[in-house]
Amino acid sequence: MSADITSFLIFPGGLFAIALGLTLLSFERIAIARLQGRVGPVFYQNILDIIKLFNKEILIPKDSKEIIFKLSPIIGFAGMLVIIYFMPIAGVYEGDRDNGDLILLIYMMALPAISHILGGGSSSSPYAAISVSRELKLMLIYEFIFVIVAYTLALYVGRGEAVFSLHKIMDYQLTYGSFLFDWKLWPAFVAFVIFVLATLDMPPFEIAHSNADIMDGFLIEYSGIPLAIFEITDALKIVALAIVFQIFFFPMIIADDVAINLLWFLFKTFGFVLFFSFIHAVVPSFRPDQAFKFLLSVPLALATISLVLVLLSIKGLI
Amino acid sequence: MSIITKSPFLFRINTGSCNGCDVELATTAMIPRYDVERLGCRYTGSPKHADILLVTGPITARSKPYLLEVLDELPNPFVVVAVGTCPVSCGIFRDSYAIEGPLERYIGVDVNVPGCPPRPQAIIDGVAKALEIWKEKIKAIR
Repeated sequence: MSADITSFLIFPGGLFAIALGLTLLSFERIAIARLQGRVGPVFYQNILDIIKLFNKEILIPKDSKEIIFKLSPIIGFAGMLVIIYFMPIAGVYEGDRDNGDLILLIYMMALPAISHILGGGSSSSPYAAISVSRELKLMLIYEFIFVIVAYTLALYVGRGEAVFSLHKIMDYQLTYGSFLFDWKLWPAFVAFVIFVLATLDMPPFEIAHSNADIMDGFLIEYSGIPLAIFEITDALKIVALAIVFQIFFFPMIIADDVAINLLWFLFKTFGFVLFFSFIHAVVPSFRPDQAFKFLLSVPLALATISLVLVLLSIKGLI
Repeated sequence: MSIITKSPFLFRINTGSCNGCDVELATTAMIPRYDVERLGCRYTGSPKHADILLVTGPITARSKPYLLEVLDELPNPFVVVAVGTCPVSCGIFRDSYAIEGPLERYIGVDVNVPGCPPRPQAIIDGVAKALEIWKEKIKAIR
């Protein structure tokens, strides 16, 4: 399937991605509940939440910068819609062959965080201001980790010359085997997992968005439809990250049939979310300074180790 | 209509409670046996997201302005649940100079869950009753 307007609006972007993402969010809640011995909500709970939020009153604080406050949810939402359109899904969807590259991906992945920062910053609440400063601090490092991981893969695929095309990274693995089974890239994989935790604001990095100490952070003043758009953006972000994981590390396909590959893609995506809900359920959260130090040391070191290993293997030393 | 009422967001405020009711409230959400998430409920951090307000404590003079602020910030339609004897009647603190309760003085309370502290089952029952009232309030608005 090649990229056209249908793939932007219905499949795999647009409606399909929103429905899948919201189901994944509910699935995460159910998985956490089961790990704690509870029953949990129904599998379409987050869709119900969105429908309800669209019916609620919208409150706008008197001191806020109203235009930015209203428009900032759209920025992240648009960015996520666009990036799902560009990215290929192995065996199912080709993506945009010419323009789908790593630089675009890195830019677009930053947009939800930027919309959080703009929205929180314009809402005139001190809690939102604290949350924005925390998100900025985290973003400073996790973007850097993502860039290093992506650059490592690009170097590995091009044997010394960086290849920035998502398609070529995927095709290389379809020919030579997934990077998940390549020991030189295992440190980069761990760094990528930590990047996903940090970018999704999940424990142990639930510091910009936690409802215990800063009352939901940047979302504090939002209600009604803007809040719903933030939730949909979160859902799309999980889908986008699952696709990024499958392009970077595990694009393996099991058949030539599109339908079977689609089921396999969904299976991998649910497995990805199950893994992260397990982490969500078992770890507590860092303090902001601890999170900053951890991100600055462990994942950055791991990503750099992978980069060095890849450089050595290109030179033929290992 | 009935779809909307399957996703209530809860917000809880402690207005000078002894923490007994808060412990029970936290357990209804957290411990395995009593699972309030089964009703689709979710605790939120901000009153602006909330549909159901759970109030504990006898409303001390110190906490009164914050309670009034939270009541102002709730988007319509919302339901107020008084959890424990304190917000219902101020309980054993009723003669104190520092008590400005009960909750009935400031807002129409929809559900009272008496008890010191009430059992988790009673709180979940209160939330379920609040859902019915919430449904009627939505109908009245339309």
